[in-house]
Amino acid sequence: MMRPPDDLDVTRRHFLSRLSMGVGAMALGSLASAGRSISPGQIDHLPHFAPRARRVIYLFQSGGPSQLDLFDYKPLLEKRNGEELPESVRKGQRLTGMSGNQSSLPLAGAQFGWKRHGESGAWVSELLPHTARIVDKLCFVRSMHTEAINHDPAITFFQTGSQIAGRPSMGSWISYGLGSENRNLPAYIVLVTKDKGGQPLYSRLWGSGFIDSRHQGVQLRAGRDPVLYLTNPEGVSPERRRRMLDRLRSLDAEQFLREKDPELAARIAQYEMAYRMQMSVPEVSDLSDEPDEVFDLYGEEARIPGTYAANCLMARRLAERDVRFIQLYHQGWDQHGSLPASIRVQARETDRASAALVRDLERRGMLEDTLVVWGGEFGRTNYSQGALTANDYGRDHHPRCFTMWMAGGGVRPGTTYGATDEYGYNITENPVHVHDLNATMLHLLGIDHKRLTHHHQGRDFRLTDVHGRVIKDLLA
Amino acid sequence: MSQVTRFLFLAVLLGAALTPQVLALDVDFQRSIRPILSRSCFECHGPDSKTRKAGLRLDVPPVQHPANPPLLVPGAPEQSLLYQRLTDVDPEDRMPPRDAHHPLSTMEIELIRRWIEEGASWEGHWAFSPPERAPLPEVRNPDWCRDPLDRFILSGLEAGNLQPSVEADRARLLRRASLDLTGLPPTLDQLKDFLGDDSPKAWERVTTRLLAAPAYGERMATLWLDLSRYADTHGYQSDVERPVWPWRDWVIDAFNDNMPFDEFLRWQLAGDLLPDPTRNQRLATTFNRLHRQTNEGGSVEEEFRVEYVADRVHTFGTAMLGLTTECARCHDHKFDPISHEEYYQLFAFFDDIDESGLYSHFTNATPTPSLRLGDDENQRRIKALTDRIVELESIGTTLRARAGPKFEDWLAENPRLALELPDRQGDYRFDSIENSLIPNHADPEKPGQLGAGTEVRSRAGGGSLQLDGDNNASFPGVGEFDRTQPFTISLLIRPDSITERAVVIHRSRAWTDAGSQGYQLLLEDGHPSWSLIHFWPGNAISIKAVDPLPAHQWSRLTVGYDGSSRASGMTLHVDGEATETQIIRDNLTRSITGGGPGALTIGQRFRDRGFKDGGVDELLVLDRALSTLEIKHLHDDTTLNNARASAPGTLADTHRIRHDADHLAHLAELQEARRTLAGELDSTPEIMTMIALDEPRTSRILERGQYDLPGRTVEPDTPEGILPFPDDQPRDRLGLARWTTDPRNPLTARVAVNRLWEIAFGRGLVLTSEDFGSQGSIPSHPKLLDRLAIDLIESEWNVKAMLERIVNSASYRQSSITTQDKRRIDPGNARLSRGPSNRLTAEMLRDQALAASGLLVDTLGGPSVHPYQPAGLWQEKSGRTYPQGSGDALHRRSLYTFWKRTSPPPMMMLFDAANRDVCVARRGATNTPLQALVLLNDPQFVEASRVLAERSMDHGGSTPDEQIAHAFKSLASREPTDREARLLGDLFAEELAGFEEADARLLIGIGDAPTREDIDPVRLAAMTMVCSTILNSDAAVMRR
Repeated sequence: MMRPPDDLDVTRRHFLSRLSMGVGAMALGSLASAGRSISPGQIDHLPHFAPRARRVIYLFQSGGPSQLDLFDYKPLLEKRNGEELPESVRKGQRLTGMSGNQSSLPLAGAQFGWKRHGESGAWVSELLPHTARIVDKLCFVRSMHTEAINHDPAITFFQTGSQIAGRPSMGSWISYGLGSENRNLPAYIVLVTKDKGGQPLYSRLWGSGFIDSRHQGVQLRAGRDPVLYLTNPEGVSPERRRRMLDRLRSLDAEQFLREKDPELAARIAQYEMAYRMQMSVPEVSDLSDEPDEVFDLYGEEARIPGTYAANCLMARRLAERDVRFIQLYHQGWDQHGSLPASIRVQARETDRASAALVRDLERRGMLEDTLVVWGGEFGRTNYSQGALTANDYGRDHHPRCFTMWMAGGGVRPGTTYGATDEYGYNITENPVHVHDLNATMLHLLGIDHKRLTHHHQGRDFRLTDVHGRVIKDLLA
Repeated sequence: MSQVTRFLFLAVLLGAALTPQVLALDVDFQRSIRPILSRSCFECHGPDSKTRKAGLRLDVPPVQHPANPPLLVPGAPEQSLLYQRLTDVDPEDRMPPRDAHHPLSTMEIELIRRWIEEGASWEGHWAFSPPERAPLPEVRNPDWCRDPLDRFILSGLEAGNLQPSVEADRARLLRRASLDLTGLPPTLDQLKDFLGDDSPKAWERVTTRLLAAPAYGERMATLWLDLSRYADTHGYQSDVERPVWPWRDWVIDAFNDNMPFDEFLRWQLAGDLLPDPTRNQRLATTFNRLHRQTNEGGSVEEEFRVEYVADRVHTFGTAMLGLTTECARCHDHKFDPISHEEYYQLFAFFDDIDESGLYSHFTNATPTPSLRLGDDENQRRIKALTDRIVELESIGTTLRARAGPKFEDWLAENPRLALELPDRQGDYRFDSIENSLIPNHADPEKPGQLGAGTEVRSRAGGGSLQLDGDNNASFPGVGEFDRTQPFTISLLIRPDSITERAVVIHRSRAWTDAGSQGYQLLLEDGHPSWSLIHFWPGNAISIKAVDPLPAHQWSRLTVGYDGSSRASGMTLHVDGEATETQIIRDNLTRSITGGGPGALTIGQRFRDRGFKDGGVDELLVLDRALSTLEIKHLHDDTTLNNARASAPGTLADTHRIRHDADHLAHLAELQEARRTLAGELDSTPEIMTMIALDEPRTSRILERGQYDLPGRTVEPDTPEGILPFPDDQPRDRLGLARWTTDPRNPLTARVAVNRLWEIAFGRGLVLTSEDFGSQGSIPSHPKLLDRLAIDLIESEWNVKAMLERIVNSASYRQSSITTQDKRRIDPGNARLSRGPSNRLTAEMLRDQALAASGLLVDTLGGPSVHPYQPAGLWQEKSGRTYPQGSGDALHRRSLYTFWKRTSPPPMMMLFDAANRDVCVARRGATNTPLQALVLLNDPQFVEASRVLAERSMDHGGSTPDEQIAHAFKSLASREPTDREARLLGDLFAEELAGFEEADARLLIGIGDAPTREDIDPVRLAAMTMVCSTILNSDAAVMRR
């Protein structure tokens, strides 16, 4: 049945071999870099200067974690618990429609124990004992502020630099700017805690907006198909897939001989990359090769696929494989009511694994060039939303000040930057706007945020719009 | 700087650059100079007056803006300030500043020099001058041309010493045009017919057929849906469904009916303002409502409303004018002649409807304004019921006139009316509250409920409620009225402070979160306002007292309603006297009872401003309207006692309302008729549209584009620099629509025809079809663009005719096979020395697989469907389950796939479909490994491969080779070559030998389409692998 090759096969073979030499790679995107020497998808003159971080792990805490119950200790709120928020502090600034119509805004002190930790003496509440132990590796920014007051615009703003949908996400900008360092995995991977619920997420948060869709984040999911459509149909073994791809390649080579279209070579290379991903993604998703001590570190939950802990561990594995931008989402921080009970759950789910990730990266020598960022889209109010009782309160959205932390990747460890007033309502020193944070993150990656642009609809767009400044004090 | 140093600097600057290439520079202002100035200079020396530096501008002719030394001295670059500053030796003084990051290259500086040397001729931006009809260019080979447009293409090729390519072979051409015009590949019969048609008109017959196919409208609509940011959900946050597909179907029909394109635009912009608008004219305006909308709790309503209006402006600008208006939202446009003020003048056109910034979270009310979308039968029933109600209402008037004699008879027998009001549902005096239960003297079974923390204060020997804005009292089971039920509510109230808004009593689920659905009595700056609401503000009736209620004293407030759904049927009495009111809203057409549980409540409402600092007492709820006398009696407790003496006429009314059997029977009949109509209306679907307000809103400039920084007021107007607004047109959307489609408008026809060109060639004559402004690309063939724009206008905007010309042209019919040389000279094929070749769009790829396999269900229009999608995608983002369809729903064309904005169909997104969050004019065409995974593994493509295999085995012929050829032709629209056939034959043989039956059964079991039991599973599986291979191959993925 099989026929012998004919003379034309020589030309074809030549074409096919050139493909593997990288003719195809010339036309490839970030998903198909041929190796570190060429980083296609990487635009000219990047990085602009020597990077401090080669990759980012962004631990996004969706919903808006309460800085007042976790990091920003305000004894005055405990003292004045139940008293009305003074107008001299609020200064008429806008509130959401959820608490804005309450007839009273009673101050609510945190109902948790507080201590200073480490040599740096950073305040961390009892909710985060593991984070408390690594404060000397962290750089806290207590003076974050944003413009949006509702979840959707605020989280869109954080991730794309604009409250209006349609802009590329930060990971897309970085994939577009720096390309990939791994030829078998996407440059930008997204991990969402499974079955968490809470404020919704939107695929636009990891979308590429008006940049090429090849820079959109690729979600790695717990379950049979870690990447959408990764798994061969039932009944199709890897060997069968390989045979089929070989024939497909020959078929396309025929077409190339006729059409002479270089795009064809690129497509063939993408199929090869897809095939490699079929190996590399299950390999990276399979945690069974991790020793027990790793689960001691991250917690037993890390054995359950899709948990925050498992995703933190996965993030480390992806970082080891030089995935450029690893974005985690953990929902559930939106404590409008019953805060004391539900924030405990959130803290328990995230504290140990977040800290473990930092420690794990450090002991592997990767923390110095991996930037870890922890935070949500805004903070929470110092007054109670709904009734304040002896052991219960809620907090509404508060964009005027909140806390984030960063570690590794060239940020200054053991630092606390910025401060808020004694009511925890307004920033008193060193405000850091979302655009400033993003500019600083890009800076750590060796990118001048003003020069990473994409021309679209007559204008050079950038992640930081026309704003943003690098906060030099945060740099090591 | 001395001339010597300047010379030295230039020598260094130019150095090795004085090549023949530089000497042959094209210094055409439009093509070469303006783009440089726009990119590198306009930001500080352009239209934006606020950021303009040194008072210098380069976007207008220098004579309009003199400088010293002169900016430009024609013929003398050295004396021209522009050139001096570009070449200043001092890097600090040299323009543009380094930190602007837009340096000029050596070549560009030389271009500017040469341009000044040659006279510095100046023109405005090309796209803002009206198109001019250029004569047909002379060409050496006129015989090649089939349409005047070919002359322009050929002349460009000849100027560059390029030859056009030969005509493509027929199969290729058929595939190309079928996909371009209908989005579907040709069927095998169509292919056979065309290949066998020897007549010289064979091709024209094909194009006529394609343009007449219903699939043409679907293909054209798909493109318009991207521009219109069409989606089936609202887009923000919880992103719930909104049925707007009837508008999508209107678009499909409009294209299929070949509606003149100017009319197509006018209807969408302003169909509601056309004289006596038809249903479709009004439906077309849904275009303006397709922006995202939010229901996120706690959002500031006005912030989002402003966002919606801005989105309308943005979409209008990009889709119709090819302009980036949004730049001018915060400041003057940096590049194009749209000032900050002009932006808000445009904004004012679209800021003209009775809308809310938040849609209702708790109800499914259609955000207003809206259009009822019943069928003819439903319209007929509504008309009949409405007529019947009008008739009954007039009978009521007659009955009233006849009531006198009966009253006299009654009066003789009953000298006194009962003082205790009948028909009470609720009577609460707040005097003896126990266990938070408020006794109901009208119905002891239904006591009220005192909310936690609500204080009861003593008053007049009993108790009264003291309210603080957060506390409340509720009255379950009482006052559950629909909009056909006459009713009355009366209470004593004492406001102790005056607030902007205070909810006194209401029956509704929530404020903005429910669109206020229900009824409510508020104090607004102390003025009582009384409303029945389906969705605030557009579907409600509402009246408001002219005078405020006195503070610090008790007043009796009585509000009534007659069941008519009209503001005139609402009453408001203070201390027994009718108080003067204004009508605030008078349009209630749907239910007021949705939104889930929500008992009649005093004092507070979910996320609303409660009645802070005041008292309430003596609440009465009655399920009928009261007479004037009764209302007065409620206040003074004596009126009825003295009624006969004081006002016998009014007493007659009271008698009638209480005792007149004829009247009561009539009332019951009227209410029944109203209830029937209400039921009919409530079950008629609605869609968001535009309905211009009678009184225009006041629009203001918003500083930095922010909703909370309003500046001075503006009137609707269009940007002066494009085309002045005609004096004879109204300053509303209809005027705007006519301005847009005015033949003198320099943009609309060019933008439209450029898109048609883009459909056929994969790129527009202006590459940036979304931006015809200063920063957009300049046309590859400006004279052709102008000519086609004029032709489009003169053809009365005939879209099909224009497309027909394009696909019949010699330029379109060229083969896409080309030489390396041509590829090198013209890599993007801007000059069209060859035919187009483009990857299929997301929709085409899926539709092609469905069509080739015969799975495609070609029903036109209807609600969106939910085809296969990997499990869990909706769940993990928002906790909702994707309601995957079955049967036909799995195999409809892709434009009918349900589009959830926060989780769009992943297959489509991976193939560069627009996200539909905002207007998108041009999609990418990337090539990624994730796309390979889709075509290889997505069950819908595996299923299609298997069904195609079945079909090929049935119809292809008896041998595997014939069957393979059948499959290949179905997907690639041509015969496989011998080698291709051999490769696929080998694959089939390999697979046949290699498949275990169990594996084979797994593979062919994928998909809902039933698997054929009569075919050997191993053979079917092997053929499925072959079909999948073809489906993944270039021959199927591309149109060439």
